Amino acid sequence: MTNSLNDIRHTKSMIFIGSNATENHPVSMQHILHAKEVNNAPIIVVDPRFTKLAAKATEFVRVRPGSDCAFIMGLVNEVIANGWEDKEFIRTRVAGYQEMVEVAKHYTPEAVEDVTGIPAEQTRRVAKILAQNRPTSLTWCMGGTQHTIGSSITRAFCILQLVLGNMGKSGGGTNIFRGHDNVQGATDMCVLSHSLPGYYGLSDGAWKHWCRVWDVDYDYIVGRFPDKEWMGKKGFTLARWYEGVLAEEELETPSPVKALIQWGCGTNSNSQYNRVVKALNKLELLVIVDPFPTAAAALTKTDNVYLLPGASQYETSGSVTSTSRQFQWRFKVVDPVYDSKDDYEIMSLLVSKLGFADEFYKNIKEVPEDITREINKGTLTIGYNGQTPERIKKHMENWHTFDIEDLQAKGGPCDGDYYGMPWPCWTEEHPGTPILYDVSKPVAEGGLPFRNRFGLEKTYDSSGRKENQLAADGVYNPGSEVKGGYPEFKDVVPGTNWKTDLTQETLKTAIKRGMAPFGNARARCVVWNFPDQVPIHREPLHSPRPDLIEKYPTYEDQPNHYRVMTRYKSEQKPELVKEFPYVLTTGRMVEHMGGGAETRSSKYLSELQPEMYAEINPRLANNLGIRKDDMVVIESPEGSKIKVKAFITPRVDDKTIFLPYHFAGTLMGESYLKDYPEGHEPYVVGDPGNTVTNYGYDIITQIQATKDGLCKVTRA
Amino acid sequence: MARMRFLCDTERCIDCSGCVIACKEGNHVPVGINRRRVITMKQGEPGEKSISVACMHCSDAPCIAVCPVDAIYQRDDGVVLVSKKTCIGCGYCFMACPFGAPQFPKGSVFGARGAMDKCTFCAGGPEENFSKEEKKLYGQNRIAEGKVPMCASMCATKALLAGDGDVVADVFRERVFNRGSGVNAWGWNKAYKKS
Amino acid sequence: MRRLIASGVLIMIVYAAVMVISTAIAAPTSMDGFTQFFSPENYGELYGGITGDWQKLGQPFTQLQSELFWKIFLGVITVIPGVFLLHFLIVGAKSFAHDGPQILFFNFFTRIVHWIGAISFALLVITGLLIIFGAIFGGGAPIRLARHIHIINAMVFAVIAVFMFLIWVKDMFPTFYDIKWIFILGGYLSKKKKPVPAGKFNAGQKAWFWLATVGGGIMAYTGYIIWGMNGDLDTVRLYTIVHNVLGMVLISLFLTHLYMSLFAIKGSLHSMISGYKPKEEVDILHSRYKYE
Repeated sequence: MTNSLNDIRHTKSMIFIGSNATENHPVSMQHILHAKEVNNAPIIVVDPRFTKLAAKATEFVRVRPGSDCAFIMGLVNEVIANGWEDKEFIRTRVAGYQEMVEVAKHYTPEAVEDVTGIPAEQTRRVAKILAQNRPTSLTWCMGGTQHTIGSSITRAFCILQLVLGNMGKSGGGTNIFRGHDNVQGATDMCVLSHSLPGYYGLSDGAWKHWCRVWDVDYDYIVGRFPDKEWMGKKGFTLARWYEGVLAEEELETPSPVKALIQWGCGTNSNSQYNRVVKALNKLELLVIVDPFPTAAAALTKTDNVYLLPGASQYETSGSVTSTSRQFQWRFKVVDPVYDSKDDYEIMSLLVSKLGFADEFYKNIKEVPEDITREINKGTLTIGYNGQTPERIKKHMENWHTFDIEDLQAKGGPCDGDYYGMPWPCWTEEHPGTPILYDVSKPVAEGGLPFRNRFGLEKTYDSSGRKENQLAADGVYNPGSEVKGGYPEFKDVVPGTNWKTDLTQETLKTAIKRGMAPFGNARARCVVWNFPDQVPIHREPLHSPRPDLIEKYPTYEDQPNHYRVMTRYKSEQKPELVKEFPYVLTTGRMVEHMGGGAETRSSKYLSELQPEMYAEINPRLANNLGIRKDDMVVIESPEGSKIKVKAFITPRVDDKTIFLPYHFAGTLMGESYLKDYPEGHEPYVVGDPGNTVTNYGYDIITQIQATKDGLCKVTRA
Repeated sequence: MARMRFLCDTERCIDCSGCVIACKEGNHVPVGINRRRVITMKQGEPGEKSISVACMHCSDAPCIAVCPVDAIYQRDDGVVLVSKKTCIGCGYCFMACPFGAPQFPKGSVFGARGAMDKCTFCAGGPEENFSKEEKKLYGQNRIAEGKVPMCASMCATKALLAGDGDVVADVFRERVFNRGSGVNAWGWNKAYKKS
Repeated sequence: MRRLIASGVLIMIVYAAVMVISTAIAAPTSMDGFTQFFSPENYGELYGGITGDWQKLGQPFTQLQSELFWKIFLGVITVIPGVFLLHFLIVGAKSFAHDGPQILFFNFFTRIVHWIGAISFALLVITGLLIIFGAIFGGGAPIRLARHIHIINAMVFAVIAVFMFLIWVKDMFPTFYDIKWIFILGGYLSKKKKPVPAGKFNAGQKAWFWLATVGGGIMAYTGYIIWGMNGDLDTVRLYTIVHNVLGMVLISLFLTHLYMSLFAIKGSLHSMISGYKPKEEVDILHSRYKYE
């Protein structure tokens, strides 16, 4: 999120793509509706469903699942065709623009209509609304990312905002709403298989940097691996870890996965759930740490499953990073109840048993404050330095001094700070950066240019044009010594750069000189290290439009994609739609959360949403002879089936089926409630929607494509 | 004296049921009893509107008029409360109420309805303030603590407003002014016309 | 006397059986009300059914219940006994010789049925009135008990009413002389023992019969709907209105029946205990009675 939830109050228009904020981020709605009411800002909702957010929209755009990129590039094209682009912004702060325009030209409103099903007239209208109501706040969520081209789609969103000149402005920005109060924190800590914390990657330099932070010997860490080469290789992802267990696909790994610890993770949020279940039963060891027994606890038929009762957030404390990049402190309300233990204690016991507690806890004496301090020390890339536990707690204690409009404390002990010190907060004196890439403020007061990440110059493959990647002259933060673009800071302390200088001398020097440590560059429209340098539409693997597959084919198959063979082209079969004619998309409901282990164990929430269902359009239901409250069987091309209640509603169109994915506890209507630990059965069970979500993974991140599969529906 | 009122702004209500859960959790209301609920009209179609409804604490409340045992009464601040010890569970208030507010748990004898339960505006009941009995029968007494009811305090979008009717009206009036269009608050006239 | 005790025991057995059955029916189940009412679709319908209908019968119900019903009931239970008191003082009771020939009017089974019906009906009237005027007694546990007794007795009476109907229906069809009986008000306005036109039962008794059995059936059914809210709300409102209005009529006739049997005709009560009526009384008050 480049801006903050509160900053949406200042927007002049909003566009939500693949986001259902009313159900998934209800609290954000107070700012969204404030902008709608006070600024008269139009709300454009682009979604395959008429969501509860669409009910609040001024313009609802029904898009075919998986065709978001075509629509956005269509908007880009329409904006440029009418000369509505922000020419000065593009000239001074954007790179690869001309190359991008060449690609966008293809996406005329008529071409967009063919791909997305959105009337050409509506594309024109939306482009005009965005052009006339600037700045626009653009929000996307899982509906934008969970596709095989998810990474291209998200880049298209950014390009649209660059073209409209909405970046680095109050009321503008790309505002991705995160799903929990600490998803941003988890992402920043890179609880992922391809990077060390703080987006450092897996290079030797990254490992050495973190070894310095942890104060452990680099060779010691190397010694923990079977071979040094595996230190730099990406691991399995959350989306496909089970392939590592099953070993049915082509793997690139020293050995299959044998043990799994699931720490606060509901397995039923994984697509291809049938295979997940198979893998869970093949594991030699499964440890589940959760306040409630998850679906995995009941599904496994093996003996080697251990349930550790983890404490909830109210029974422990620590720092979290919110969607607005703000740091907050969770205070403990009660001691862990019954025999549950908080995560820190479970971790400490585990680490002691494994025998590396000395190295693990070298800097950590006071839990959890020292953990935050270690994060402060090492996560320089994104400016996690200034948010010390003391400062965070001070913010929490002085909520009332922060202004709801700009989140800045006006007077009081936190005077001048932005609430939660949104990162980057370069030093302990820095107020935090409420809006990323905002050149109207000095860097020391929360301003920032675009980061210089990808060199100083680039010759583009498509055009052969050479372009300076630094910002144009005249673009700088007030007080900057250099009145234009400049590269990132290095060698202030010899042998280090701004990301690796643990003394933080580099950061302080840069701030003192009024400059951003990471340089002042252009935002790029061409990403030369991605398969699609400029975002283009590619049909989902399981496309309902066989006629478009040839025109917009998917990628070549990817061997060793996060250690596992990932099929693209060989999976894209035009004839599939004949047997599986309906598009399957999934999502959340407001009453339940994730895998639902927690919410389905709440009697009141269960009372509100007591059943798994599939949303079916009345027209489709009538055509298939499905009546209200009938049970339907939904079958995926992979052969898995679920049996759920039909919820007949015009929210979805007559070609689309929507499933919430929070349910578990039954399979094809057969309950395995008896397999839950006694007295811990959830109140509500249902077939997991992800049993039928289709094969398909993003080309860059390998996120599962749960939003654009195909399915067959029959009355049960 | 301040006149307590509820107002649900349908332009703001997003059907999240946060108010319902807040009410139930805050007052330990049994499953099946809904002091408050969110109703959605035209679900999934353009014009979809949601509204959170509970007891409106009407002026000249019909429930009070029909109660054969005078179990329901209105405080000076307009809050309509029921004495569960007086109520006989006849159900007349449910038949009289335009908002479906009165709720009846199943009684133990012959499946007859137990004492009526409804929104208390988080003002407890006729028992002594903050007494154990009051808490057990009616839930919290937030009004006596100087707080707004659970539901309104929890509303994410500030759709549900509760408190002094004049203040609530001012807040809403300002919103309507900002929107520049006439948005009528549903139920307001029906519940409060006479005061 | 032994028969009296026997009938008393029978009544108690019927009560006990009904109580056991009804308690069993009402045993609460754990997750009641989950799917039934709160699936997303039902929400809208449920609520539409509530507020949407208010303008139809909600408002009339509220006005009738709050302003009219209790006044009429008060009228019924004060004015009717008052009239009868005047009648008793001015006209006085009719008395017939009980030492003359006796005629078996009600057999044992009939009398048992009558008394179970009588007790349950009396309790229904009393508890019904207690509910209506509950405010005077402060509501709470006593009135709640009255309500529960009302429900039990309704079940007892509903069964008995069927028997009553079958026993007496053949004698209860209207005849032409019933009109005449009505015109002279059964001769109760005069002290003279002049034969009045009536068969085994006079027109007043016939009216009472039909209202008590058929009307009682309607009361039982509407009461059942009100008890369980088994229907959409507007139906429940309608039934409540019907239940109240019919209740007024039934209480009026019940009071009349009481007065006639206890006061207006001396010893009349005895005939329902022993089963025999004096021949003189039959000849005067049931002049068209056909002896077997």
